[in-house]
Amino acid sequence: MTPASLSPPPDDLVVDVHGLRKTYGDRTVVDDLDLQVRAGEVVGLIGANGAGKTTTVECLQGLRRPDGGTVRVLGLDPHRDTQRLRAMVGSQLQDSALPDRLRVGEAVALFARERSGRGEELLERFGLQHRRRSAFATLSGGERQRLFLVLALLDRPRLVVLDELTQGLDPAARREVWGAVARLRDEGTTVLLVTHEIEEAEALCGRVVAMRAGRVLDTGTPAELVARHAGQVRVSFTLPAAVDVAGLAALPGVTGVERAGGTVTVSGRRTTVAHTGAWLVRRGDVPTDLDVQTASLEAALLHLLEDAA
Amino acid sequence: MSTRRLVATELRLMLRDPMTLTFVLVFPVVTMLIIGGSFGTSPDEAFPVDPTQWYVASYFTVVIGATGLIMLPVHLAAYRERGVLRRFAAAGFSRWSFALAELVLGLAAVAVAGVVLLAVAAPVYGVPVPDQPLRVLAGVLLGSVAFVGIGVLLGTVLPSARSAQALGMLLFFPSFLLGVGGPPPAVLSPALRDLSEVLPLALVTEAVRDPWLGLGSATGPLVVVGLGAVVALALAARRTAL
Repeated sequence: MTPASLSPPPDDLVVDVHGLRKTYGDRTVVDDLDLQVRAGEVVGLIGANGAGKTTTVECLQGLRRPDGGTVRVLGLDPHRDTQRLRAMVGSQLQDSALPDRLRVGEAVALFARERSGRGEELLERFGLQHRRRSAFATLSGGERQRLFLVLALLDRPRLVVLDELTQGLDPAARREVWGAVARLRDEGTTVLLVTHEIEEAEALCGRVVAMRAGRVLDTGTPAELVARHAGQVRVSFTLPAAVDVAGLAALPGVTGVERAGGTVTVSGRRTTVAHTGAWLVRRGDVPTDLDVQTASLEAALLHLLEDAA
Repeated sequence: MSTRRLVATELRLMLRDPMTLTFVLVFPVVTMLIIGGSFGTSPDEAFPVDPTQWYVASYFTVVIGATGLIMLPVHLAAYRERGVLRRFAAAGFSRWSFALAELVLGLAAVAVAGVVLLAVAAPVYGVPVPDQPLRVLAGVLLGSVAFVGIGVLLGTVLPSARSAQALGMLLFFPSFLLGVGGPPPAVLSPALRDLSEVLPLALVTEAVRDPWLGLGSATGPLVVVGLGAVVALALAARRTAL
């Protein structure tokens, strides 16, 4: 790494990574990766298993030493300024645990750098105050993840790194944890969220970084990624055979109109939905079975990953 | 500050989970009662002193071996396997705090199990009065530190609690049988006797038993054990640096 080559980071740049490379033996796990996270952003690092997401955040947390590139977190080098940085970064790690018999209240006391009411406040906020005397082993999956969130937030970190926060949780517990992260987002906490669940990224992240084979494929808001990669919107409905649908093809954004039996399918950009609806209303013949298949982030990412393969 | 909290937590968890200590507490006591009562009370060509006294003094080292070769490796490998160590590392505990916590934990285990062993031995066989108490203390202390270091090292190298248990047993039992809690060296074949003289746990036993029973000062074994303690501790601290 060449610290001298770094230009001074803008004040709000919390994570600034250039050309990060990490190899295990002859296997390159992270390859020339750039990543920037600004203060107050919730950024989702998304990709299939083995994309290099966890290795990337472990380099940011000072848990692994990069083989190349520059990594700055809050202006510090995670490998050299590990202890200073760990006081400012709250971490929830993939596949980590606490000793089985450690109680919730004891974990909070153990992990807090300073004695304050912060632990109690967080336990209450994340609905764990009644579990204060419960051993870690007796907590449900959702409660464990909420406890990890509490521990990650104890020292009022400037960056929170959450790695596969909802892995293995049932849908109810997942929603519960998402609610907790959404509250962080609403309070302006900077969050780097590692996930392979598109729904999670869509629900929580203002910006998504799509990764494959250790590289960034694209980055943007979920809507931007959808617009760039998700393909077309499809509007389907039934109309009597006698109705002429030639006018639909001339609507703004429409790229195709198909008729199969009584069903009409209009394809095109997102604006197609509104224009098709308006066309039907103008005709005074509103179908009762109108169905819209919008492009999703999932479709966008699948296209993106397929194109990169 | 964080080190003190970690030490206190580890000790509290050990008390809360007595199963962790079971082998260290029970095995030396049971085997001492069986083996110690098997050879009578008169010195002969195999035993330079009363055999019961010989085994009471020897079994203190069994506690040290059980702690270092079985209890600590299993405890630490389980932590590593489950991601507890990564969790501590990411939380920013000071660099050496975990190594120190494990050293305290190991020494506490030896102290507790050692006291239990002597408390059981006292009414049954009697506890011999140490001939050179300071030498005995030095042997116990350096031997404990060396084996705690070895235990921490094994725990951080082995991938799982199960593998730590398997390897720990494999390392512990030959050491235990040769020159520590098994047959007296005089009845062993020359090859086994030679081996028993260089096994680390047998060296600790010599450094503790000889000055305890007035069989010599065991300066050589004590120095080797002391050097072993420094090396094992340095390696263990390096491995566990968070």
